[in-house]
Formats: sequence, structure tokens, C-alpha cells
Amino acid sequence: MYGGGNVFETMKATALADEDPILLAAFEARIDRGEKIEPTDWMPQLYRKQLIRMIEQHAHSEIIGSLPEGTWITRAPGFKRKLALMAKVQDEVGHAQLLYSAAETLGKPREEMITDLINGKSKYSNIFNYPAFTWADSCFISWLVDAGAIVNQIANSKGSYGPYCRALERICAEESFHLKYGHHCVIHLATGTKTQREMMQAAVNRWWAPMMHFFGPSDKISVHSEILMKWKVKMASNDECRQQFLDMYVPKIWELGLTVPDENLKKNTVTGEWEFTEPDWEEFKRVINGDGPCNAERIAVRRTAEERGRWVREALLAPKAKYVAPLA
Amino acid sequence: MILKSLDPRVTRLSIELSPDESSVAKDGLDQFETYEAFVQSKEGKPFEHAGPVHAPNEEMAFLFAKEQYSRRGMFCNAICVIKTENIKVSEYTDNGQDIYNLVTDHPSGNENESFEIFHLMKRGKQHKHEGSVLAKDFDDAMAMAKKEFQSDKPVFNVWIVKSAHIMASEDEDKDIWDTLKEKQYREATDYKAADKIKAFKENQA
Amino acid sequence: MNTEALKDLLYKMADDQLILGHRNSEWTGFGPLLEEDIAFSSMAQDKVGQSWQIYKLLNELGESDPDTVAFMRNAEQFHNCQLVELPNGEYDFSLIRHFLFDTAEMIRFNHLATSSYAPLALLAKKIKGEIKYHTMHANIWVKQLGSATEESIIRLQTSLDSAMPYALGIFESSKFEKELISEGIFRGEETVKSEWLTQVKSILEHTKLTMPNIETITPVFGGRYGKHTAHLQPLLDEMSEVFKEDPTADW
Repeated sequence: MYGGGNVFETMKATALADEDPILLAAFEARIDRGEKIEPTDWMPQLYRKQLIRMIEQHAHSEIIGSLPEGTWITRAPGFKRKLALMAKVQDEVGHAQLLYSAAETLGKPREEMITDLINGKSKYSNIFNYPAFTWADSCFISWLVDAGAIVNQIANSKGSYGPYCRALERICAEESFHLKYGHHCVIHLATGTKTQREMMQAAVNRWWAPMMHFFGPSDKISVHSEILMKWKVKMASNDECRQQFLDMYVPKIWELGLTVPDENLKKNTVTGEWEFTEPDWEEFKRVINGDGPCNAERIAVRRTAEERGRWVREALLAPKAKYVAPLA
Repeated sequence: MILKSLDPRVTRLSIELSPDESSVAKDGLDQFETYEAFVQSKEGKPFEHAGPVHAPNEEMAFLFAKEQYSRRGMFCNAICVIKTENIKVSEYTDNGQDIYNLVTDHPSGNENESFEIFHLMKRGKQHKHEGSVLAKDFDDAMAMAKKEFQSDKPVFNVWIVKSAHIMASEDEDKDIWDTLKEKQYREATDYKAADKIKAFKENQA
Repeated sequence: MNTEALKDLLYKMADDQLILGHRNSEWTGFGPLLEEDIAFSSMAQDKVGQSWQIYKLLNELGESDPDTVAFMRNAEQFHNCQLVELPNGEYDFSLIRHFLFDTAEMIRFNHLATSSYAPLALLAKKIKGEIKYHTMHANIWVKQLGSATEESIIRLQTSLDSAMPYALGIFESSKFEKELISEGIFRGEETVKSEWLTQVKSILEHTKLTMPNIETITPVFGGRYGKHTAHLQPLLDEMSEVFKEDPTADW
């Protein structure tokens, strides 16, 4: 579950100066033909670096993203919900495994990525730094955060890097269950008893701001984003993803009699664009830099899982084990 | 201070929150070896590369691959795992160029050992099992594969592995993929609620 | 057919699976390595799914619907053995419990595949593959961690020693052993237990672990008759927290 906001680091203007122009031209021609790049192909350093950063953040977002919904895993009401939530949270862990593997093909071992995560060196989707207070919060996440992630992931699955595309295809197939399950849960609450409806509305009110942040701030048109678009690393702008999400899901929220806590939210019939109150980007920055309601807890949980699992890994590791990167 | 969470599971972990947590550096030793997992969706279909797992040995790689790549049991007939370092990877070609056109050796005729051949038919897609050949070594297996499997469809990349290096599920264990029909809870098709929305809207109107 | 005896059997099996599945699901996201996290969650789902099936059989025999039975009863109405309700502890304890319990499960359901109660025999055949994977998983892990480092061996041995009295509690006889056996519904706890001892020993022989001396251990009984540790009621309260907000609502 990853929205693609705030991914890339700033690029030096000279970043491409050292690359071999002939290899670079062949690389770009391959992308122009619509062919995927595979791990052993020549690629510019900048392409490798930005991809590792993006896929790694995506992987962290899956493993950390399993925690807010996991909050309700032992309390899901009824057999069907209990099993489905277990399967859904398990899938998120599975997605992390797939994405770490894709990033590994670019040369960064998984354990190094996990170390960076638990030491606070890596980012992940900001939305998972918010708490899931009630069952309805977990339903909001299953439906709408997954929906937002799917918008971004479907775009990225058409990108240029083979292993990332393969992982995303597998992930998107599983997300369709998540989305339907989440919607099913929300429908039941929204059309249910008074208590259930209120619970659901309160969750929408709590999660709307983080949801709008999920896609990241407006992208500025820069040489930087142009080249990442050209190389098919970044496939859609943050604004495009946000607009697509609003277009697909606001009507579905409204049809359930739920309201969205933004009185300016409406579709402009002339431009076809959704208008909304500008999200508070100062809060976004504050949370992404560590000062959100759950940042410390999320990292502490991952760190604890790593520490308490260490004896298991140490016991199993063959002394002469040699790590190699996955093939594809 | 012990972390108190909204998640009762987390509270039970009794995590000590200390104000200055020093960074945890893991040594390289913590990283298990890599295995590639292949899934056969149906009897008679070729094994297809599904993705890697990290595991301390082949048996565990198998246990892990089963749940990571075939937990939706209805789409799996068998799986196999191969240690990544045992797979010999050819060059990648592009733009319609067949990798076999770059192979100039002729088969030696020495049928010492069995090798399995996997083809990549389109960049970005999965490698699929094509068949096996008997040969002297990896290069020789590549020459044999060209003789046996080259067609008018270009192949962009070939993986070769000694047949002995493959661990596959046993026929007698096929039932580990049998699932109850109630496993439908993992499928999108199991969540239909259009009626509920319709009834709700009618009530509102 | 003796329905009371049959229901008693079904309840204890379903309760075991539900409570252990619930406990094991607590590991989701906290496992010692990513791949094992995924495998452990699948087995937790299998267990909860199996219990659901058995509660459905009970429903057909006139008991309440599965959700009500699972989410509305109190601890003293549960017939699970105490082994499954104990907290997860660290991974060594969860693994040992999984090994001891699933070994018994495999033997139990192998016998049930020929039960005279046809719906149960059918279910036993359907879930044979799931249980096979569970024991395959448990055996491989116990064999490897049980003969790896000093720390892993000590941890597993400690967990084995502390779990064993509770594990023997799996086989606490019910009031209906005779009836179940004579009617061909189930071969009885003593049969399962003796095969279980052989099987557990044969796996431990591949490790540096020592089988505790069964003769000197007092089994922890009571679970089958509704007597539980202080851990079960809080587990049930947690499990049903949302459901009980409105048991008549459609969640």
C-alpha cells in the first residue's frame, strides 16, 4: 500500500555527465520501444539509485502498513471478517517480501534495507503513522488506502523496470481482494445500525486528511521529474493519482450516505477536475520527519520483531552462507 | 517505559521505549541465501518463475515458497525451488534478437548430465520451463538447447540449471494445495454487496 | 448415533483450533523473518477456517450459528485444552506448541477420516493436506532449531519442558470415550496419545532435544470440562470486543 508521494531525492544537474552516451542512448531506446529493463542490463547510476529508493520505500510501506490494520486482527467481528483480515494483513507482509526482492535485484540486500528502516533512515508512506482507533478505521484502510495504493501501483506496473513490474502485477491481483473486502466492510457499517454508521463516519473524518496527503504534494515540473518520467520510473504525477482517486471513490463514499470533511470538495463540471481545500503540507512534513502520532511505535515494533527474531536467524544461518541477489 | 498501544498484540510485546535508542547495525551474517521459486499452475503446464525467497536451506525455501507463492491454493499444482547461485543466466537480448543466434558452439554429443532450460519470451514477463537436455556442461547445454528449442519466436534470455539442483514437491504431497471452498474469503469475487447499496439507496429516497 | 457424545467431540476440537488459530494470528507482522511470518499466518488461517467448519457441523446438529458459538460464549463454556490458550511467549514456545499440537491433530484427523459420522469423515479428508503442511512445517523447524546453536537448543528444550504437561492435557478423556469408540465415531484419546508419543519421539531423535519423562509429569487437565487458565477469558473478551458491541448487527 503505497501512494507514491515524496519519493525522489534532488538530482544534481551533472548526474548524467559521467554516463557513457552510447550506452545511455541504447538504454533510452529500449525504454522508448516499450521494452522492460532487466537486472543485468546496463543502466544509468541515477536510474538505479532512484529505483532502489522508490521500491524500498514501497516495501517499507507494506511492512509498516500491516500494523495499523493489524491493530484489529484479534478483534475482527465474526469468522468471515476474522479470516479475511488475517489474510489481508498477511498479504501486506507478502507484498513487502516481493518488493524487497525486486529492490534487491538492483544491488541492495534486504537486511540492509530493514536495518535502514529500523534506524529511521528510510521513509515509508506517511499515512501509516496514524492510529486505527476503531474497527471502522481498519475498514477505511482496507478500502480507501488500498484504493489509493492501487491507483499508484497500476500506473507503476507499466514502468520500465522488469522486476518491479512483475512484483506489482502480483500485488495488484491480490489488492483486488483487499479493495472488495474493504468496500464490503464499509458498506456494512454505513448501511448498518446507528452506532455502526457513526463509527464509520468518524473514521472517514479522521482519515481524510492523511488520505489526501497519501499521494504527496503537487509535483513541480522540473528537469528532474521529466527525466524520471522519460525513463518510466515515475509513471503518473502525484496530482494525477489524487484526481483519479477522487474521481473513482468520492462518489462511492457519497452513495453510502457518508460525508467527506471538506466543504470545498466538488467536481468542477467545466474542467472535470476535483477541487478541494489544500491539504496541510506543514503537517505532512512534520509527520514524515518523525513527529506523527505513531512514528515511534511503528519503528519500535519492527525493531522489536527484528531483535526477538535474531536468535532464530542466527541459529539457522550456515556459516559459509553466501548471499546472492535474486535473479529477476 | 513500556509501550502501550491501541493494538493489544503490541502492548503484549512489552516493548521498552527508551529515549535514546542506539542504532542497530546488523552484520551481513543475518542475510539468508537466495532461492528462486517456480510454480506450476496446472497439471501439464510449464513451471513458471514466481519470485525469490530467502531461506537457510532448500527444505525451508520450499516451505516458504509454498506460502509466499501459492497460498491461493487453487492456482497451484506443484512448486519447485532452486538455489539462485546454481542458475546460470545467459546474456539478455532485446529488440527481437534471439539469444540462440549468439550461440555458435555445436553440441558435443557428450550426454553426461541433465540440465533444465527456462526461457524468457518477453522482457518483463516470467521465465518459463521449456524442457531438459543432456549435455557435458552449461555451455554445452546452451548449444543443445539451441538445437532442441530454437524456433521462430525469439528468446531473450535463458536460465540453465542442473536437474539435480531442483527441489520439487512430491506427487504424493499434492494434497497440500487442496483447500476448502471456504478459502474463497481470499478472493474478490466473494465480496458482493450491490444489493445492500441498492436497498440503502431505496430507503434514503 | 449418540449426539451428546458427538457434540462434545466436535466442540473440543473446534475450540482447540479456534483458540490456537487466534493465538497464532497474533504473530502476523511480528515474525522472526518475513517468509516465516507469511507461513505462520497461513496456518493460523487454516486453523480458524477448520474450526468454522466444525462449528457448522454443530450448527447442523442444532447448536447456534458459528459466529454466536465462537464469539458469545464465556471461558467456562469452552472445551479447548489449556495448551492452546497460553500466551504466545517468544517464537520458541509458539513453535513447540505448534509442533506438539499439530502432531496430535494429524493423528486425530487421520483416524477421523474413517469416522462413522460421515460429515466428519468428509471434513477430515478435505483438511488432510492442510494438516500435512502444518506438520511438515513444524517438523522441519523443530529438527533444525533443535540441533542448531546452544541458544536455540536451550530455548526449545525449555519450551518443550514447560509445554509438555499442557500438551498431555490434549488427551484428557471425555465423558464419552466408550460411546465414541463403540459407535465408530472416533478411536479415542488414548489411541491418539500413544501414536503421538511415538511420533513426537521420532522427530526429537533427529535433534539435540530430550524428550521429557512422561511418567513423572502430571498432565494439566480440566480444559475439556471448562476449567481454564486466567488467560482464556481475556482472550475471548478481546476476540469479541467488536462483535459484542452489537451481536445482532451485520458486520
